[in-house]
Amino acid sequence: MSGWASHLVIGPIVVPLVAAAAMLLFNDRRTWLKRALGIATTVALFAMALVLLQTVSTPAADGGPARPLVYLLGDWAAPFGIVLVADRLSVLMLMLTSILGFAAMVYALARWDRAGPRFHALFLLLLMGVNGAFLTGDIFNLFVFFEILLAASYGLVLHGSGVVRIKAGLHYVTINVATSLLFLIGVSLIYGVTGTLNMADLAARIPHVPASDLMLLEGGAAILGIAFLVKAGMWPLSFWLPTTYAAAAPPAAALFAIMSKVGIYVILRLSSLFFGQDAGAAAGFADTWLTIGGLATIAYGVIGILSAQTLTRVAGNYILISSGTLLAAIGTDSATVWAAALFYLVSSTLAVAAFYLLIEPVERGERDELAPGAPGAIFEDEYVGTFDEEEDESGIAIPATIAVLGGGFILCSLLLSGLPPLSGFIAKFAIIDGLLIFEDTIAPTTWALIALIILSGLAAMITMTRAGIDLLWTPADRPQSYLRVVEAAPIALLLALCFVLMVQAGPVMGYMEATARALGQPHLYSEAVLSAPRISQPAVAP
Amino acid sequence: MEIVLALGIGIFTASGIWLLFRPRTFQVIIGLCLLSYAVNLFILAMGRLRMDAPPIIERGVAVDPSQYADPLPQALVLTAIVISFATTALLLVVLLASRGQTGTDHVDGEEKDGEP
Amino acid sequence: MAVDRLLLIALILPFAGSIVAGFLPAGARNAAALLAGTIALIGTAILIAAYPALPGGGILRYDIEWLPSLGLNLSVRLDGLSWLFGFLILAIGALVVLYARYYMSAEDPVPRFFSFFLAFMGSMLGLVLSGNLVQMAFFWELTSLFSFLLIGYWHQNQSARDGARIALITTGAGGVCLLLGILIIGRIVGSYDIDRILASENLIRSSGLYMPALLLILIGAFTKSAQVPFHFWLPHAMAAPTPVSAYLHSATMVKAGIFVLMRLWPVLAGTDEWYFIVSSTGLATLLVGAWAAIFQQDLKGLLAYSTISHLGLITLLLGLGSPLAAVAAIFHTVNHATFKASLFMATGIIDHETGTRDLRRLSGLYRYMPITATLAMVAAAAMAGVPLLNGFLSKEMFLAEALAEHSGTFVDQLLPVIATLASAFAVLYSIRFIHQTFFGPPPVDLPRQPEEAPLWMRVPIEVLVLACLVIGIVPALTIGPFLATAVQSVLGDRTPVYSLAIWHGFNAPMLMSLTALVAGTVLYLLFRDRLNAMKRSPVIGRLKGRKTFEAVLAVIVAGARWLEALFGTRRLQPQLRVLVCLALIAGLLPFVRFDYRPGPLPVTLLDPSFAVVWLLGAACAIGAAWQAKYHRLAALILTSGAGLATCISFIWLSAPDLGVTQLLVEIVTTVLLLLGLRWLPKRVPDHWPEARVPVQVGLRRSTDLLVAVAAGLGMALVSYAVMTRPLPHSISRYFMEHAYFEGGGTNVVNVILVDFRGFDTLGEITVLGIVALTVFALLRRFRPAAESVASPVQQREQTASDHASPDRAVGDTVADYMLAPKVIMEWLFPVIIVFSLYLLLRGHDSPGGGFGAGIVMSIAILIQYMARGTRQVELLLSIRPLRWIGAGLLCAALTGAGASLFGYPFLTSFFSYIAVPGVGTVPAASAVLFDFGVFGLVVGATVLILIALAHQSIRIPRAPADEPKASLPASEGGAA
Repeated sequence: MSGWASHLVIGPIVVPLVAAAAMLLFNDRRTWLKRALGIATTVALFAMALVLLQTVSTPAADGGPARPLVYLLGDWAAPFGIVLVADRLSVLMLMLTSILGFAAMVYALARWDRAGPRFHALFLLLLMGVNGAFLTGDIFNLFVFFEILLAASYGLVLHGSGVVRIKAGLHYVTINVATSLLFLIGVSLIYGVTGTLNMADLAARIPHVPASDLMLLEGGAAILGIAFLVKAGMWPLSFWLPTTYAAAAPPAAALFAIMSKVGIYVILRLSSLFFGQDAGAAAGFADTWLTIGGLATIAYGVIGILSAQTLTRVAGNYILISSGTLLAAIGTDSATVWAAALFYLVSSTLAVAAFYLLIEPVERGERDELAPGAPGAIFEDEYVGTFDEEEDESGIAIPATIAVLGGGFILCSLLLSGLPPLSGFIAKFAIIDGLLIFEDTIAPTTWALIALIILSGLAAMITMTRAGIDLLWTPADRPQSYLRVVEAAPIALLLALCFVLMVQAGPVMGYMEATARALGQPHLYSEAVLSAPRISQPAVAP
Repeated sequence: MEIVLALGIGIFTASGIWLLFRPRTFQVIIGLCLLSYAVNLFILAMGRLRMDAPPIIERGVAVDPSQYADPLPQALVLTAIVISFATTALLLVVLLASRGQTGTDHVDGEEKDGEP
Repeated sequence: MAVDRLLLIALILPFAGSIVAGFLPAGARNAAALLAGTIALIGTAILIAAYPALPGGGILRYDIEWLPSLGLNLSVRLDGLSWLFGFLILAIGALVVLYARYYMSAEDPVPRFFSFFLAFMGSMLGLVLSGNLVQMAFFWELTSLFSFLLIGYWHQNQSARDGARIALITTGAGGVCLLLGILIIGRIVGSYDIDRILASENLIRSSGLYMPALLLILIGAFTKSAQVPFHFWLPHAMAAPTPVSAYLHSATMVKAGIFVLMRLWPVLAGTDEWYFIVSSTGLATLLVGAWAAIFQQDLKGLLAYSTISHLGLITLLLGLGSPLAAVAAIFHTVNHATFKASLFMATGIIDHETGTRDLRRLSGLYRYMPITATLAMVAAAAMAGVPLLNGFLSKEMFLAEALAEHSGTFVDQLLPVIATLASAFAVLYSIRFIHQTFFGPPPVDLPRQPEEAPLWMRVPIEVLVLACLVIGIVPALTIGPFLATAVQSVLGDRTPVYSLAIWHGFNAPMLMSLTALVAGTVLYLLFRDRLNAMKRSPVIGRLKGRKTFEAVLAVIVAGARWLEALFGTRRLQPQLRVLVCLALIAGLLPFVRFDYRPGPLPVTLLDPSFAVVWLLGAACAIGAAWQAKYHRLAALILTSGAGLATCISFIWLSAPDLGVTQLLVEIVTTVLLLLGLRWLPKRVPDHWPEARVPVQVGLRRSTDLLVAVAAGLGMALVSYAVMTRPLPHSISRYFMEHAYFEGGGTNVVNVILVDFRGFDTLGEITVLGIVALTVFALLRRFRPAAESVASPVQQREQTASDHASPDRAVGDTVADYMLAPKVIMEWLFPVIIVFSLYLLLRGHDSPGGGFGAGIVMSIAILIQYMARGTRQVELLLSIRPLRWIGAGLLCAALTGAGASLFGYPFLTSFFSYIAVPGVGTVPAASAVLFDFGVFGLVVGATVLILIALAHQSIRIPRAPADEPKASLPASEGGAA
């Protein structure tokens, strides 16, 4: 890696930032300029993720496992400056994010980007925050990126205004502000005990923390964990999630599918780094808690799916189920299960994103998303979104619409309930298979997890069948539904990717296994970060 | 000093959390302000207490770090202050909007029995 | 091309065809039928071509690597058994396609039908051709899916929708169990490959996981093959178009379960568990199905229940566990497929021609459709087990097995009786089917005038009936070798000696079937009229499978709702309580585990004035907590007091930057909240019913207080514990040492902010910018509650008095009040701006920096708003906050990116010192440029938030429409 390529790691953060900042200089009326800029940026993000994927998955020169890319910001040596680290896991998440970003961005062209001002800027800044959270190697910087993605998500939840969004937004903002305070407490406590903020450095120092300070360290780690579990949506910290995502505009909700995974990612990253095998006294910290919490979360998600009245709540509860499954899988501490869980992560995220995008067209006519839920205008200079109604009526051929929607709905149902032929089945199979083989005598919790995974599939099947029959098969006198190509295309893209995941399961799973193995060897990560060379400073005489 | 500061942090936290649990949006936002004071002080405390030793160094002479207060927590607090300022502003506007749209200042946007 | 590859093609073709058919225009039913038929025939041809390799236990397989790490390959595997099933699937499939072409009406979207049909055929084929069990489960679920689509094909009918849904959920759930069972087998054997699993029967039978695996797999098989108690879905599936029924319930869907039982028979059968579970289930199904079939009034209903009963028979045979029984099972599977398919088709013709399937209305159709009648009679005879027909042969085998010794329990004595009884029932309903429909007086008031069916609709039936006859008369020459191959592939070296002759002498089985024939006939003659009067079948008619199913689902959903209400909430306060409590527990648990210990350091001695500061600070905090409900302004002031205490302690604890910044932020926040207060509702102290706080409220408040105090205590303890510990070897030493020589600044905190950790700062200002955008978007649509729109009392009075006195214009009074402050504030403007710039520039070396400077700048602007009033200010200086934000962000980001031009990483800073006259030497570090960006953004964001909020008060309420409109900051006129 040299020349421009050496700066590739910072790209996923700086490119959307610059693009968003540039957008602010233009008048919001110049929609098409912003659309072009937005689409271009998401495409660029995808391209960068692709190159990074190539780089981090090519084995090192000495034939050993691929070393993570380390980027010393400000050219300060780790652990003093802030570092960005791109390893298999973070690049995988980058890739996923860029795909969701692109799909949601395209979908938004249909009309959502005009439901309120500055949609594209907020959208890109959310992408920036998510990418930063995946790339950073510094826990305080992680906090900053959490705040960026949260702030942007506040904006997107409230995008389009309306009473439902504002009520949900109030809860969402309050809970997350409180959570951020916990985050700060945890981080600073860890600094107070270890004297560093760099993840790799922490991984190296934690084994040597004196026993007299362990209580503080674990306290800090636990509080930090709570903060992440709120993001990941572990029961009982998850009640806000389905409501908020249901209130958000479809493209925003689709993008939010990745946000709960940010919490999962951080938990996986930090627990493998700090409390992995070679963490000394603190090893295996909180694994059992993760397992139990995961099980509870799946159970609650199953209940939620069965009792859901609207499809958006089904989707929200499915996110809970997938979070629970992932948490419980992380808790097993087995590389096999982790690999399967990563596959599941990708598959379930794509699936639920596609589902969020699909819901609105399917339910269109049932209820109009954009009906202002607020009392009539009070001010003369009331700002109302610019919706060109006549444009909204147009769509692709009507008979095709039902077929397309129906097909999409069936595929989403299959993915959510883990039935073939799409990747949902492979993911479920891989996880259960991993669970069945990773221990000599299968523990009760493992059985419980397997049972819950099965049950969650059934619950999804029951609910989706009922909903699908009511919405698509039962003759109703609703206005003939329509679908635009810009709406159909992203959904098709996401579902097609799930199909590719199924067909190409072998190579994909190979990547996941390598990733899980790498997570099992935190010392490699630490060495790579702490030994990253500086480019010497220019000599300047003060 | 340590005890006083610790107690202060504790009292701020307690008052903040009490307000956080209250049903009125204004109470909640005040609570969050108090909590953020507490947290900022807590972060500073993580660098241990130093008096009359601000981390502002002499030009061009080698410095002995132990003679100064720990600058890192201060930097962190500055970031935290800015962010909490931003979120407070946002929360304020959201709660005003909620008050306007729902007609109440209850955190759930609708009056519940029990808390008036 | 090698045959094994051809097999793969045979497997792929139907799916490809399905996609093609899906895209055909709705009218193209000939094209679709042709496509489907051709594909089915090609498949059949391939199978026939592949056959020669199989006799004698030969196996063809073709593997494609799919998921190697999990031992999962896409493997096509053909042996005798799968050949037999595959042949039935494809051959009967071809016939059904031909039949459906004439059955489906032109109104239906026929291509869609054939698309689903092909996909289903492909799934069945994939199921029987699977080389590993996971792949089998994969296709298994696909059959559930596509059968769902086929059954629900006429989804405008309620019955079709319900039937499809019941079938999907039942068989789908079964499929999940099957998968789990298979995975357990995989754990036992260590592979999912069928050949390896078939090779390790002892391993499986001896494993401790045998029982769960067996149960799960059996549940899967039984749901699919409609065994009691999962049989209820099958009759409801009759809502499907008749071709679908003819296909699903003869050769395919329901046979999938049977196939799995046969496939795993060698490794699972032979244990007592297997014997009792499988054979008793089969027995029950055999009887229940036969009994229910007698009392059906709907032709398809009758066939449905007879199907159930025949499936029960096959299951029973497999359950017995003896090789001969297995042979009988395989043989009967083939026979049942042939005669049942033809009977369904015949029913379809009757339905088509007469418009009804009600046995009570049908009568004497022989006159109108002799050929169909004859065909139906032969098929029905085969179903009843009349000699010279294939049904007879397999039933003889069954009866012989029923007589044989198996478990040595009472079952052995019971079996012959039940077998005979069931056969009698079969005879009874077969006779009823035929006699009721085709004989007797000519039918009255049928919906349509019946006549013979078109030739091509009959051909499939003729073929099948011919098969019944040929197999029945010369079994050894026709089915013999294929059956042998299939049996060989299942039983291997345990293959028993059996003969397919029609005549085994006048033995017990013969006697039993004669008894059955006679008994059935007699029973029919006795009860025929009463049967027609029956509403539903006695005894079992009472258990309504579907009602139970719906009830169970309803209970599940209701239970889920209840549980969700119990374990979840949509209110904010409980969520926050949970959050805080969990954090508290998480934070304090380690102290319980390792017990709490303060550090060794001595406490620094207390400065009394610091204590006083904190006394006040604490009082303010508590006061704020106490007042926030009813006296918002007071609470706000008290909060600022607490904030002040914080500032002082910051400065005291040698953090001047923090002190300054906190103070500035304090000011702005307070102003914000003040601006907000106006829109909040008036609050009067709560008046409880009987003037005192209800118990539950009091309780809730006291628990809240408890939690709050606990949390406060926890924070205090933790911070104390940390403060009394020595500082670990911290990375900040490095910052102190390098701040000047490499960072070019003496204010280390600022150097950290703009250089060492400049990335944090970049992020932090991004947050500020985002929030500004969001606030802006929200306030554009801000709708205050109606009651808070009216302008405040004071303002109203002033305006009134201005109106009253002729020599005063509106607003003069205010102007008078504000005169002195106005002048001062206007004069202050340039001063403050200079100060802010000073802060900005010196920031790198002493307290200050971009953020503080920005806040100061925005305060200056804010003061102008106060002094001159919004409109004048905006006339004087046009502020474009969003542009400031954008420019600031760009400046900061590009400064950082600039380093990469010189080959350095993002945010690498360069610096030197230059002397500026008047100011002295200022550091010309690129970091300062970065700080400019911060400055710009902070000004933009803060001003935007403040102004956007302030503007709300001068927006014009709707009522008086004549006043001039106010608008939001000029730059955003565009966005509006």
